[in-house]
Parts: sequence; C-alpha cells; structure tokens
Amino acid sequence: MIEYLIIQLDNTSTSYCHYGIERKERKLIPIDILKAGIKFGMMENLMIQFIYPDYSLPEGYAEVIESIDHSKIVSSQCEDKALEAEADVIVFHDWTDLSKSELDQKKCYVLRTTKTDLFDRYLFLKETLSKVLRLNVVITDVETFTEQDFERYKQILHALSEHVEKLYVESKSPQLNILTDRMMLEKMNNCGAGDSNITLAPNGKFYVCPAFYYENEENCIGDLKHGLDIKNPQLYKLNFAPICRHCDAYQCKRCIWLNRKITLEVNTPSHEQCVVAHLERNTSRELLENIRKHGMFMPDIEIKEIDYLDPFDKREEW
Amino acid sequence: MTEEEKNEIQQLFERRNGLNELAKILTPNNDALYQKLVKDMGETGTKFQNWWDRMAAKYQWEADENGHWEINFDTCEIFLVTE
Amino acid sequence: MMLSVTANYYHHYPKHYFMTVYKIKENKGVWQEGAYKNITFIVTKDCQLACKYCYLVGKNVKERMTWETAKAFIDYVLGHEDEFREESVVWDFIGGEPFLEIELIDKICDYLKLRMFELNHHWFNSYRFSFSTNGINYHTPAVQHFIQKNREHLSIGITIDGTQKKHDLNRVWKQATPDENGIIHPSDRGSYNDVVKNIPLWLSQFPDAGTKVTISSADIPYITESVLHLYSLGIHQMNINVVFEDVWQEGDDKRFEDQLMQLADAIIDNGWYHDYACSFFSENIGKPLDPNRDNQNWCGAGRMLSVDAAGNLYPCTRFAAYSLRSKKALIIGNIHDGINQNLLRPFLSLDRTTQSPQKCLDCEVASGCAWCQGENYDAAQTDTIYQRSTAICLMHKAHVRANNYYWNKLYRKLELEGLREEFEKNKKTTNPVIC
Repeated sequence: MIEYLIIQLDNTSTSYCHYGIERKERKLIPIDILKAGIKFGMMENLMIQFIYPDYSLPEGYAEVIESIDHSKIVSSQCEDKALEAEADVIVFHDWTDLSKSELDQKKCYVLRTTKTDLFDRYLFLKETLSKVLRLNVVITDVETFTEQDFERYKQILHALSEHVEKLYVESKSPQLNILTDRMMLEKMNNCGAGDSNITLAPNGKFYVCPAFYYENEENCIGDLKHGLDIKNPQLYKLNFAPICRHCDAYQCKRCIWLNRKITLEVNTPSHEQCVVAHLERNTSRELLENIRKHGMFMPDIEIKEIDYLDPFDKREEW
Repeated sequence: MTEEEKNEIQQLFERRNGLNELAKILTPNNDALYQKLVKDMGETGTKFQNWWDRMAAKYQWEADENGHWEINFDTCEIFLVTE
Repeated sequence: MMLSVTANYYHHYPKHYFMTVYKIKENKGVWQEGAYKNITFIVTKDCQLACKYCYLVGKNVKERMTWETAKAFIDYVLGHEDEFREESVVWDFIGGEPFLEIELIDKICDYLKLRMFELNHHWFNSYRFSFSTNGINYHTPAVQHFIQKNREHLSIGITIDGTQKKHDLNRVWKQATPDENGIIHPSDRGSYNDVVKNIPLWLSQFPDAGTKVTISSADIPYITESVLHLYSLGIHQMNINVVFEDVWQEGDDKRFEDQLMQLADAIIDNGWYHDYACSFFSENIGKPLDPNRDNQNWCGAGRMLSVDAAGNLYPCTRFAAYSLRSKKALIIGNIHDGINQNLLRPFLSLDRTTQSPQKCLDCEVASGCAWCQGENYDAAQTDTIYQRSTAICLMHKAHVRANNYYWNKLYRKLELEGLREEFEKNKKTTNPVIC
C-alpha cells in the first residue's frame, strides 16, 4: 500500500540513494503542479517528502510547502542554510563535506559514498556516530563489488561494530543503517519504491522513484491528471520477489532501481547486493551477541547463524 | 541390476560410442591425440568387457550361444535375446 | 501412459519368469531425465519455408553463423567447465532451418568431439547433437553423411504437422523474391510432399523418433485426422502443443475439446494406446497445485544457453530479436565477455507463484498448464518475465476435460477386461513431490 509521496522540487534535487543526478539543468516544479501534487497526497492520505535542490526556491514555494505536514530532504551543499536547519534528512555527497560540517544530534544524515571512499575513510564514521541521531550509509557503486571488496567490507563492518558495541555499553544508541537496523527489525524494511512510496517529478508525472525519472521520462506510472497507473504492481511487493521473500537480511535496501539496472527485473537483486546485505546482517548478528554479553538487549530479536552469503544459492531448498 | 551398475555401463557405453565416432575423424596426422584415442579405446573396451564379466558372474544370467544380452537403461532390466 | 498387452512379449522371457508383462507405451523418457545442459547454436536465420505460425518473426538470409564465432563460443563453454556442471549436454542446432548449414554444423560437431576429448571434459561421456528440422533436406548426401558419422549421438526431429491439408495450411514455402520492403512472404505451395518422402528414411534410422506438432487456431479441425495420419506413417511418439501466443478465437476451446474427444475415442476403440504415444493424454494433467510444494519452474529458460551469429548469448532462443514481436532482445552476454550471471538470476529464481496471476494460483486444474518465459516477456505489459501469459487458459481447460474423458474411458475398458489392477501395478509411478 502506498504510504509516501516523494516530490522532487527540481530536476537537480539532491539524490539520497544509489542513483546519481543526471540532470545538470535546473527545472523547477511549476507551482500549480506542486499544489496539485500536495492535494493528491492529501486525498490519498500520503506522507509527503520534499527533495530540495541546492539553490534557494523562489518566493511562494515555501508557503505552499508549509501548507502540509511533510519531511524535508536537503543536501549539505544547499545554499539555503536556514532550510538546512529545518531539514529532517541531510545528505552528504562527500566525506570532506561531512568532516567539516557541524552535525546535529537530533538529525538524520545520509552519506552517499563510493566503495573506495568508504574503504579509505570509514574510521571517520566512528566519530560521526556520536554526533548524529542516525546515519544512513549508501554505497553508490555497490554493484561493482568484487570478492576482494566483500572481504574488505566485512573487515570494515567488524571494526565499526566494535565501536558501536562500545557506544551501546556507554548507554548510547547510535543508529547506523548497515549495522544497527537489523538488530531492531523483525521484518523487511526496504526501499519500498513502487510499493509503499512513489515519486512526483517536476513534469507532473509519477515515477517508481527519482532514478526511473532520470533514466527515462517516458517510464512514468501515471500523472496528476489521470492518476496512478502502475503496470505489474505486484512485482514491487515482497511476495513477488522470489529471492527476497525467503531472505532475512531485513535491513537490505532492496533498491528497485538497482535491481532493474543490474538484473533487468525490479524484483530480483544482484549477487553483489545480496552478499553486501548478508555481510551486514551477519555483522549485526555478532554485534547483537556481543552487546548481550553486557546485559539484556532486544530479547525478542533472533538473527540465526547461516552458512551462505547469497540466498540465491539456496534456492533449491525453498 | 542396481542403478549404480547401470550407470557404470551406460557411461562406458556412451564413452565407447564417442570414441568410435571420434575415430572416424581423427587420423594419425594428429599424433598425440591419435595415440590418446587409441589408448582410450583399448582401456574403455577392457572396462566394458570386464563389466559384463563381473555382472554375469554376480547375477548368474542365463546365457545362450545364439543369444545376446540387452539392457534397458530406463528400467535397469537385462534381457537375453536369442536369434 | 498407455497400456500394452503383447502376447508374444512373454515368450522372450526365461522360463522362470511367470508374470505377464504389460508394456506401457508412453512418450519416450527424456534423455538423462532432463538433467542436461541444453546449448543452442542459432546457425542461420534462413529457411526454405515461411510457416505462418512460426514464432521466429525476423527470419532472414543474411545472418549466418561463421565458423570463427562458433569456435569462439565452443572455446568459451568448454574452457569454463566449472560454470557448466551438468553431467550431460545437448548441443542443439536451430535456425531457420539448421540443415541449410550442414557443412558448418559438421565442422562444429567435429570440433566439439575433438575438444571434449582433448580436454578430458566430463561431457565427452554424455552428449547429444540435437536437431529440429523441416525435413526437406534430410535425404541429401551431406546430411546423410553427417548422420552416419554421428549416429549414436543424434536426436533428430522432423516437423510434420499431420495430414497434407493440415501441414500445408501453415508450413508453406516462402516466395522466391522479397517484396519492395525486403519482406519475404509465404507462398501458396505447401511443403508436405517434400517432407513426407523423407519420413521412411528418418524412421529407419531413428525408429523411436518423435515429431513435434504445433496447434494454432486454424489447425484445430484437423487434429484428430492428423494425429492418426502420423501414426499411419509409422511415427509412434508425438509431442503436441498449442502455441503460447494469443491467437485463439472465440469457440476454439470447444472445437479443440471436441477434436481431442474424437481422438480419444479413436485411440481407445482401436487399441492404439498399446503402441502409440500422444502427449495430449497424460494422467498428470488437470490437478490442483499446491502453492508451496508445486511451485517449480518447468521452463528451461536460463538453464539453457543460445548463441547467435553475432556471438550474443541468450537464456533461450526465444529471447533473440528474431523471436520477439514487441520487445527488445534479452542478451545475457557474448562470446568475448562470457555470461553475465546477474542477468540469469531472474530466470533461475522464477517460480510458478511469483509470475502467475491469482486465477492461476486458484485454478483447480492447474497441473500441466505450461508457460514460456519468452512469451511471458514478449506479451507482458512491462519488460519482465514475471507476468505469465495466460492466452492458453481456455485451451488448457478444454484439454483437461478431454484428457479426463480419455482416462475415464480407458480405465473403464481396462476394468471390464480385468486388466486395471495389473496396469496400476506396472505403471511407472511419478514422484508426487515434483522436484
């Protein structure tokens, strides 16, 4: 069931996920489309998330946006610093920016990073975790992971896990998506594009997510005039994902766009995505065990020991 | 016979067929490969005959000087077929 | 399965063998129980015919595989033995009409045999060369020479659709010259006479050979007479399928059902079930399927591998451009870079429930209802293999009704003849848990 409406305010609105921003030219959402989108969200009872560009919006837009309860997703490079202060989620696109920014312990942050940068600079995350409410690390080139990369990532997760354990022992509760989410989850909590959320682009059309808009404007799933028209909607649901529905790496992003890009099917993840998710899952399992050595913690959560990193390899057993 | 015994002879049968058909296209011009083929044909033939000898002794199959045995690979049954 | 009571079969047994044996004439079991890798060479897109139901919509004379492409492909496959762990292999050759490229095929097969032997490849002990041909060139010296050379490893099916009337309805020669747009159209000349003359030779060389009969809308009135005609030609094994494409007209299901009932009557009343097999009638068709236990994908797309003249690799020939009406080709790799395993994941993960609409999951006669991932993809609303095409739904239901009639009638006959119990004891049992 669709619960969220993501409204891209501009063609250059920040990315908060795996996709890169393909458009360099600004194209602001016309104010009448913005109003119609908000109205659509209200009538469909959807929670609205606005994704902002880096430039300040013209007069009149703020008023329209504030007419509805919403969340703001803003880049750390946004020139409107007042907006950054109001943002619910701030997105960093590089580590230098992260290291120089003043962080707010009450805010959620997204760090979009390549694997190389993560491997080189992960230690900085230890310092970051104490300064934020939540940090989402998005590896933007996860599909390029090699066997060596998996091994390196495993080491990094382990190193971070030791630090997170220390923080928990100090009665802090850092949230790091790639490590702590799995400890809290009892079921899948994924991207949800096309299933629990859809995107309204500046052209007034709906898309599965912004990445699909950037890939091809013709791949819309409806528009404001005619409503939603999602073809094969079941394929965005977990029940119709043959690998994922058997999986318990609940924290996995299950990025629909990446699925489509790498395997040509929205319901099938790549090998790399599955292994990365299971490395995270397994480290979460260890972290949970280690925290429990210090006292009771999340007693209802169980993460079983498994002997595989890609559930695809176990498909014969289903 | 057992499934395993059937698998053994079936593999030898297939290999023998493969070697025989290879012999139609491989000439002594390709010396190393030809030698390998000749050797393999000999070895496979020996294994093939050994299998029949072993099974006949094990199962005490009825024989007839005007007949031959045939195997049904689907059912693992063996038949004495007389002329 | 069909029952045969052949009196003189008993006399071949040793004296201590008391039990009367009931020979069941069923469609010949699949080689190696289907546990083989099927690798297809699309050697040409040319064909002498322009069959009206042919799913190969983009046939042409230009795309012929070169020896260099074939060799590169073979070297890739045989050089990656760890990626191809199946115990057996079927090297399959299609077109267009494959025997138009018999010289290339001969060279390919010789190379395959040599290399499998040279590399000590496990497939040398278990391989076949397979062909589905229109039969027109079957008798030619080049084809016959090839057959003699590879006799023990061949599986050749000649497509003959039934009576001359039925066969020539669709299987026609193409016109000699294309139109102004370069499109080659069907002619009015059927190919039956050119094919049927080769049937005796074919059956003498492959007595257990079967034919594949394809049923489209226009063929329905001729099903019974065609099957019986093929029996009369000496063909004992028949695999008959309706096309997956959405070609059906209103009332086709009823007409199909009527034809199958007539066929059932003919087979049972004349006792032809003893010696002739027809895939229309199977005890396993028309049962409900459990969503968990009976969830397997029976379509081999993704487990097979096809290569075309350009060296592109496909999960099945049906995903090549010339097989598709409305979608782009789905290429999973090429002979230089190999197979992109991520592109195979959807194929190898696909099961019954993730592709089927609710009506299929609720269907009380679902077993035996087939799908084709290629047709799924071609007909789907989006670029996906996960939207099952259900164009054959009514045809399947009609098939089930006729199949039920057949078995009820046959069982009753066996009961009245006192043969039912022996039939049940001796029939091949299938594993109820389909793996």
